[in-house]
Amino acid sequence: MTNILNISPILASMLIVLLPFLAFVIQAVLGRKSTSGIFSLVAIVMSTILSGFFVFSEVWNSIPLHADYTWFTIGEKTFDIGILLNNLTVLMQFIVCIIALPVHIYSKSYMKGDSGIHRYWMYLSLFCFAMLGLTISKNLLMMYIFWELVGFASYLLIGFWFTKDSAVQANKKAFLINRIGDLGFLIGISVLFTTFGTLDIVDILGKDGLFYHGIIDRNSGLMTAAGICFFLGAMAKSAQFPLHLWLPDAMEGPTSVSSLIHAATMVAAGVFLLSSIFPLFNETVLLIIAIIGTITAITSSIFALAQYDIKKVLAFSTISQLGYMMVAVGIGAWDAGMFHLATHAFFKCLLFLSAGAVIHEMSHLKANSNIDFDPQDMRNMGGLRQYMPKTFVLMSIASLALAGFPLTSGFLSKDAIVISAFEWALHQGGLYLVIPIILVIVSVLTAFYIGRLIFKTFFGTLRVKVGHEAYVHEAPKTMLIPLAFLAVCSFFFVFSLNPFSYANASIMNGLYVNYTFPEIYSLHTIIPITLTLTALISWWLGYNWYVKGKYPLNANSKLILLAQNQFGMNEWMMKTFVNPTIQLGKISFWFDKYIVDGIINGTSYILKQLSNLITWIDKYIVDGIVNGIAKLVYELGNAFRFVQNGRLQNYMGFALTVVLIGIIYLILR
Amino acid sequence: MITLTHFLVVSACIFCIGLYTVIAKRNAIMILIGIELMINAAILNFVAFSKYDKTNYGGQVFALFAIVLAAASVAVGLAIILNVYRHYKTINPDNITDLRD
Amino acid sequence: MNLEVFLFYAFAMLAIGSALLVVSLKNTARALFLFFITLFSMAGLFLFALADFVAITQIMVYVGGVLILMIFAFMLSNKELLADLQNISGSFLSLPSWQSVLLAIGFFVVILIGLKEWNNDMPEWILSNIKSGDIILPNDNNIQQLGIKFMTQYVLPFEVISIFLLMALIGAAHLSRKEENR
Repeated sequence: MTNILNISPILASMLIVLLPFLAFVIQAVLGRKSTSGIFSLVAIVMSTILSGFFVFSEVWNSIPLHADYTWFTIGEKTFDIGILLNNLTVLMQFIVCIIALPVHIYSKSYMKGDSGIHRYWMYLSLFCFAMLGLTISKNLLMMYIFWELVGFASYLLIGFWFTKDSAVQANKKAFLINRIGDLGFLIGISVLFTTFGTLDIVDILGKDGLFYHGIIDRNSGLMTAAGICFFLGAMAKSAQFPLHLWLPDAMEGPTSVSSLIHAATMVAAGVFLLSSIFPLFNETVLLIIAIIGTITAITSSIFALAQYDIKKVLAFSTISQLGYMMVAVGIGAWDAGMFHLATHAFFKCLLFLSAGAVIHEMSHLKANSNIDFDPQDMRNMGGLRQYMPKTFVLMSIASLALAGFPLTSGFLSKDAIVISAFEWALHQGGLYLVIPIILVIVSVLTAFYIGRLIFKTFFGTLRVKVGHEAYVHEAPKTMLIPLAFLAVCSFFFVFSLNPFSYANASIMNGLYVNYTFPEIYSLHTIIPITLTLTALISWWLGYNWYVKGKYPLNANSKLILLAQNQFGMNEWMMKTFVNPTIQLGKISFWFDKYIVDGIINGTSYILKQLSNLITWIDKYIVDGIVNGIAKLVYELGNAFRFVQNGRLQNYMGFALTVVLIGIIYLILR
Repeated sequence: MITLTHFLVVSACIFCIGLYTVIAKRNAIMILIGIELMINAAILNFVAFSKYDKTNYGGQVFALFAIVLAAASVAVGLAIILNVYRHYKTINPDNITDLRD
Repeated sequence: MNLEVFLFYAFAMLAIGSALLVVSLKNTARALFLFFITLFSMAGLFLFALADFVAITQIMVYVGGVLILMIFAFMLSNKELLADLQNISGSFLSLPSWQSVLLAIGFFVVILIGLKEWNNDMPEWILSNIKSGDIILPNDNNIQQLGIKFMTQYVLPFEVISIFLLMALIGAAHLSRKEENR
């Protein structure tokens, strides 16, 4: 096919990036005139086709390609704008495309009738452009630009309903927290540039790149700092503890956006970044990554247990899964991390979109009844299985995948991470075992909270009593078809023909990584069985608690409240960082107002007085001299004016006087 | 014996009186008289010196010329004075100050 | 002191005194008449310088022409002439303005100083003429000599002065003419 159309992968990948940008520009120009989103839709469809047929199929498992175009020159350093196509980047690009496409289709009916829909399409195209560009960037600076752009698009989309105060607060929070990470990224880039003199990934990390020439000691303090800085960037973007706070709040955006940006693609960018520059990290940095990932996974899964907002549960679940991926990177198995990223993208997107469908219907219900209730609160749901059976089935598939049930894609990727973690920990020995054990616990918790979500939403009876249950009906086809597509992608066969072993997964093979630790075959059977069994147990427990009503705990117990409030993290952050920052701001303001301004005003006052003095001098002394001379001349002229009185005799008298004086002078001489 | 100096001293006296008249008097006719006095003083000098120049008679000749010139100047001057009077209704030069700045 | 010297002094005093009076008098009409005396005494002084023709010319031109002209002009210009003539009360003499007096005296002093210097160093030609006796004597026929000189040696200045006199005549007539037909 490529031969027929003769499009090289490089050109195709450029088109993939530029098409959404074109859509963004057209949508921005047309504004309100175009609300159908047809441009964005066409752009993403074409991008997906190009990505699938001309890039992914061409590059995957063949020779990596890259292209450079001179960007700009500073001094003697020339920066290239470049495209890098290897297994990792084309996979990531393809994932972004393939997730973005159903989300676009879904959005078409989900966002129907929204007054700001033209902005929605614009932002969505902008995001696609930035995200697709980020995936294939060859230059770290270029990647940073796209990185910022996705952050910006995310900011715009979180605050899409900007009339809502909470949305504005949320996007502000997201933006500010992301800034911390971006700063880290930027410092990392600077360190790399100082070290290597280039930011080109291929030049640094390619087969015969600078990195392997032994110029740089990977364990040096500088490289550790660079690694930590990059990880900081990834932390903020991928919502790692303690910079994860923005992600739950980001759920203020439209659900379709949450699914695309805050579940599947953008938040995974951190993992992608770390995978791209993985060789740079030394043992210390990797350990930090693993520890942070673990903490993130466990804390957010605990938070997820106690949430009532359906989207918040999914948000914490996302954070927890991102923690998994981080752990995978940290233990050196970043191929497993990427694998999980791929599988997670599909089923988490599906979960969000299904939740979106549920919320959509609940909102309809709310709009058609007079009762005011939160359409996202699970306490108001229940029994939706009867009204939305297809959605129920689809969401259940996604939940199973998330819980790591056999035959699903999640089973494979999660097992990959947990098994690798165990192998790594056993190789390292000792205290390192805590990490995989926690991961197992997280897995159990994951199964439990997603079970809770399903049970509370779809089982039992509708808790909110409105008497208009008939208004709740199945989601429209344009929403269901993308969901179905994503559900299909949540099964094992998309990734691996063997449903029980991740070793055969094409992604794992494609991104082949040499592990630093030996494989332990027994674990490959024990762990999947353990995970599945514990998941089943937790589901049974959940079913008993939530469906049969045998809830053993006090809903208001302190532990649950604590978990619901994320251990008071937000408040703690508020107390520790925000308030002091505000105080600092106030102090700075005071300082600025009274001291800086005071100095400035004082200086200006002195200057003013000085200038007044100078004015005085100028007016009375300088001008005085000038005027004085003028006045003197005037007075002299005035004094001698009487000479010119027109009297002939006076003239004569003067003339004769002068003659007399002349003669006297001649005599006396 | 009447020497040259006698004449010259008298001539000097008359000249200075004429000078004074020209400057001090507030009457155009008196000014003209002052001028005549000064011319007369000059003529007296011519005549006095002429005594020692028998061959040329230059002094007396030019004394005569001077008298003629004085008469002519007086004629013209008086004509002017009459015109001035007709114009300004005065012959006091203090009142004729059109040359003033 | 012989008569000649006495007369000289008398004429000199008369000339100077009348001149002083001319300039001091307030009344212009009187001053004009006093000017006669000055001119007469000046003519007398000319006689002492052995210039009889010049003296006669002086009397004829000045007294006969200039002075009459002046009186006419004065009378034509000054409407208050009669009032002035009758008004003899008050200050008879006009007070001299001190600046003019100062100037006149200054000139006088300067001339005297010049004379004194000049006496010590008289011109060569006067001394030589005195020595050779080539000076005018009281019994010389001056008038004949002058006539010859005018028509020979000084003929050009004589003609020039004639033309000048004509021009002055015409000019004076033109200036004093009535302006009705202009």
